[in-house]
Amino acid sequence: MRALAANIEEVFREAAARWTLVAYFALSSLFILIFAVAVNLDVVNGALAGAKIFGQNVHMGRQSVDLDKLVLGFESGFAGFLYVVGTFLAIFATAHLVPRLMEKGTVDLYLSRPVGRVPLLLSRYAGGMLLSASNVIYLLGAMWLLVIWKTHLVHPRFFFAAGIILFGIAALMAFAFLIGTLTSSTAVSIMATFAVFFLSAILSNHDRIAAALSAQWAATLVQGLYWIFPKTAQLGAAVVALVMGDEGPRRMRDALTLQPFVTTGLFGAVCLALACLRFRRKDF
Amino acid sequence: MSAAIEVRGLRKNYRAGLGGREVKALAGIELAVQPGELFGLLGPNGAGKTTTVKILLGLTHATAGSASLLGKPVADPESRRRVGYLPEGHRFPGYLTARQTLSIFGRMSGVSSRALAPRIADLLGRLKLSEWIDVKVKKFSKGMTQRLGLAAALVHEPEVLLLDEPTDGVDPVGRREIRDLLKAEAAKGRAILLNSHLLSEIELTCDRVAVLRNGCVAAMGTIDELTKREEKSSSKGYRLMAAPLTEELLAEFHEKGASPERVNGHVRLLARDAEHLNALIDAARARGALLTELTPEKSTLEDVFVDLVKASPDVEPPR
Repeated sequence: MRALAANIEEVFREAAARWTLVAYFALSSLFILIFAVAVNLDVVNGALAGAKIFGQNVHMGRQSVDLDKLVLGFESGFAGFLYVVGTFLAIFATAHLVPRLMEKGTVDLYLSRPVGRVPLLLSRYAGGMLLSASNVIYLLGAMWLLVIWKTHLVHPRFFFAAGIILFGIAALMAFAFLIGTLTSSTAVSIMATFAVFFLSAILSNHDRIAAALSAQWAATLVQGLYWIFPKTAQLGAAVVALVMGDEGPRRMRDALTLQPFVTTGLFGAVCLALACLRFRRKDF
Repeated sequence: MSAAIEVRGLRKNYRAGLGGREVKALAGIELAVQPGELFGLLGPNGAGKTTTVKILLGLTHATAGSASLLGKPVADPESRRRVGYLPEGHRFPGYLTARQTLSIFGRMSGVSSRALAPRIADLLGRLKLSEWIDVKVKKFSKGMTQRLGLAAALVHEPEVLLLDEPTDGVDPVGRREIRDLLKAEAAKGRAILLNSHLLSEIELTCDRVAVLRNGCVAAMGTIDELTKREEKSSSKGYRLMAAPLTEELLAEFHEKGASPERVNGHVRLLARDAEHLNALIDAARARGALLTELTPEKSTLEDVFVDLVKASPDVEPPR
């Protein structure tokens, strides 16, 4: 346990030294600060009577706006935005963890310690996930508290959306680790993971794509890839659906199904298992 | 007493590229290092030294045979609990300070932070790095990085040390300090395996040596045993200083089969045995030569090494 904690600490020290951690927190803090200072809402009897952004009045017409719907709309939009940006930043900040570990002259220092290869790799994965979680929870949590402060409306689902965001990051980070163990290249790990993210989003329209294809084998391939790859688009929709709850349209509520979670979880678990297997068997 | 490091019939085959030919890196190595022993592993490039060490540390998997550290098979990560390793060309994370480096790698070996704090200060003091304790490793010179590597290998007080070129990049004074430190560690009962190209370092430091060639142990023993073995194979050389060293005297030495050779003001003679040597001295004295010095020429580890490498022309010479 001591060895694994030391390894996780090293992941954080490295992130701090590379400025990724500092830059992410600085950007997040700036965003939070702007929101805290710039947005002023005038709430009367649970409805939005007026609003100021950067001191300028926002024209609202004569009618008052349902504050709950407005806040839910903001929260779901922000959670969806953070799902994409948070995932990209997390992969960007952690894709080097395996390639750097496997560098000649470095890997010897780690593997010569009494730590098995699989626990060593998994502790770096845990370090990467903790790093990503701290970033996502900091931004989402701070925004949640700010919304509560400004509107007195408490929507815990907004904060719980962090769970789905981190679930998606976990699956994609496992894939980045697998590519890292196979290629020892940070650049290839990042590119391949981003490619999977976008390809998976495109494959969410698998039925329409398959129907448009003339060759049966190509249609089967598209359907097969859809089931193999993580469901990045559906997870994004699930984030929004979770935050909106019953307030969202029925189509959106349907996005919150079990299938994307099961298949994405399986994809991540298989990638992580293959990464461990490759790392365990590799000769350095 | 059971060996601290034990290798039995160790084989390692690599495949050169995808579907390429098979390369035999190790072809059945056998060796054992006892606690308190300083053991040198020598050999030209590609002889199998690094592969042997990597198998001992679980960095590379053996094709056949067995290897154990302190009685535990090397496949078990626990075998490395009391092992310190200094790899050649190691790269500590540059963003860590010396203190942080030793703390992280010490804890990875299972030592508590509380136990590490005084140990780190003491070790860095012994290795003349006290003033650099809170400086980032990226600011260190090569010699300082090497000393830090040695500190990292020792931080968890291991019973076995595997050191790859420990004095690489270190100045002569530092080399002597490292040699003294290694001898002190061996005196505490630690088994030390030294993997080096620097024959003079090995000769000055090690109790026993194994010379690897083409993945096999070509010779093994104490420095004396190896150099004596070398001497047995030919006549023994002597450095003779006498005056006058006339051409007639040299001709007589030649007739007596001593193969005389003038070298920097003295004569190098080859004597088959003590009787032959005395006959040569008598001849010199009979010609009125006054002997001022007669020194036996000692074979060096380098002579042994070069002879072994010459027997295998397809390997590179040592540096």
